[in-house]
Amino acid sequence: MATPNDIAFEKLVRPHFDRLYRLAWRLSGQRAEAEDLFQELLIKAYGKLDDLVKIDEPGPWLCRVMYNLFIDERRRFARRRMHTVEEGELAGDGLAGLPGTQNPAQDHERLERLQKLDAALSMLSDEHRVVVLLHDTEGYKLSEIQNLTGIPVGTIKSRLHRARARLREILINDGTFS
Amino acid sequence: MHNTDEDKQDQEIQALLKDYPMPEATAGYFDQALVRATHEGSRRQRNRWIMTGFGSAVAAGLALWLIGGFFITTPELPQAEATIPGITIALAEPRTINLVFASAEALDAATLTVQLPPGIEMSGFPGQREVTWETSLAAGKNFLPLKLIATSPQGGEVFATLKHDDRGRTFRLRVDVS
Repeated sequence: MATPNDIAFEKLVRPHFDRLYRLAWRLSGQRAEAEDLFQELLIKAYGKLDDLVKIDEPGPWLCRVMYNLFIDERRRFARRRMHTVEEGELAGDGLAGLPGTQNPAQDHERLERLQKLDAALSMLSDEHRVVVLLHDTEGYKLSEIQNLTGIPVGTIKSRLHRARARLREILINDGTFS
Repeated sequence: MHNTDEDKQDQEIQALLKDYPMPEATAGYFDQALVRATHEGSRRQRNRWIMTGFGSAVAAGLALWLIGGFFITTPELPQAEATIPGITIALAEPRTINLVFASAEALDAATLTVQLPPGIEMSGFPGQREVTWETSLAAGKNFLPLKLIATSPQGGEVFATLKHDDRGRTFRLRVDVS
């Protein structure tokens, strides 16, 4: 049975679930890791319920806690990269179930380009991948990324520039761009 | 200086990034995550209180710590049957085990392979009997949390092998299912 704390907690965090889940996915890039990160955040936030109720805007606070959890995890396993016998099936699970249009040829081409983008993103460092996904895919402003990560705007701009340049280089090399 | 080709490619990359999809959370996931968070959060709060005397280094929620002096003993020595640690987990209920590897020096490109018996899976890798990470080790203790799930009641032994160059160490863990 839900306790008063449970009810208060749900009321505070549930409105932010979609945003947090998107952030978890963009940070980690895979469903299993995203769900672990999302879960860890909720557990941690529940333990800080006394602080959470005093915060005017829990959304940005929760996002920052999630980002810090992600960074802590990456520091512990600085080069955590999965190599399994089914590695190909692990990559790009975000593309599964991509909604189609009425044009199968166009859908196929789009899927192919997105798969190549997915592979290219996986070749970026975490710092570059996260910045480019938050800015160019999720539409975060530079100041929002700064608030989330604590990284100066100048550094974020530089990472964004390098990330795009590296993506361009990879996509030219793999033939996506001529 | 950008030429028109690069500008065009940048625009294409940004358009691709905007289109980069992300699947929705599976049905019921948010509700389940919330329930787990309130249960686990409450449990951790209780444990924190109980374990005050042990200091903050022992994180709550741990099923077991396996501690190995990775580079103290080489080559690998067989472990006596009697020393194999064990845990009991509930069917279909994820349980986290923490492996602790103590390394005398920082190491790049170590590989950790986890081999699972039939009926025991690692969270996020359904159906895989073997999962390998490439990871870096810091000097001192390195922690690796493994989330295990029993999908059948038979149990078995989990092997975790850490290798670097020609040196290695294997941990065995008996997993029983209740």
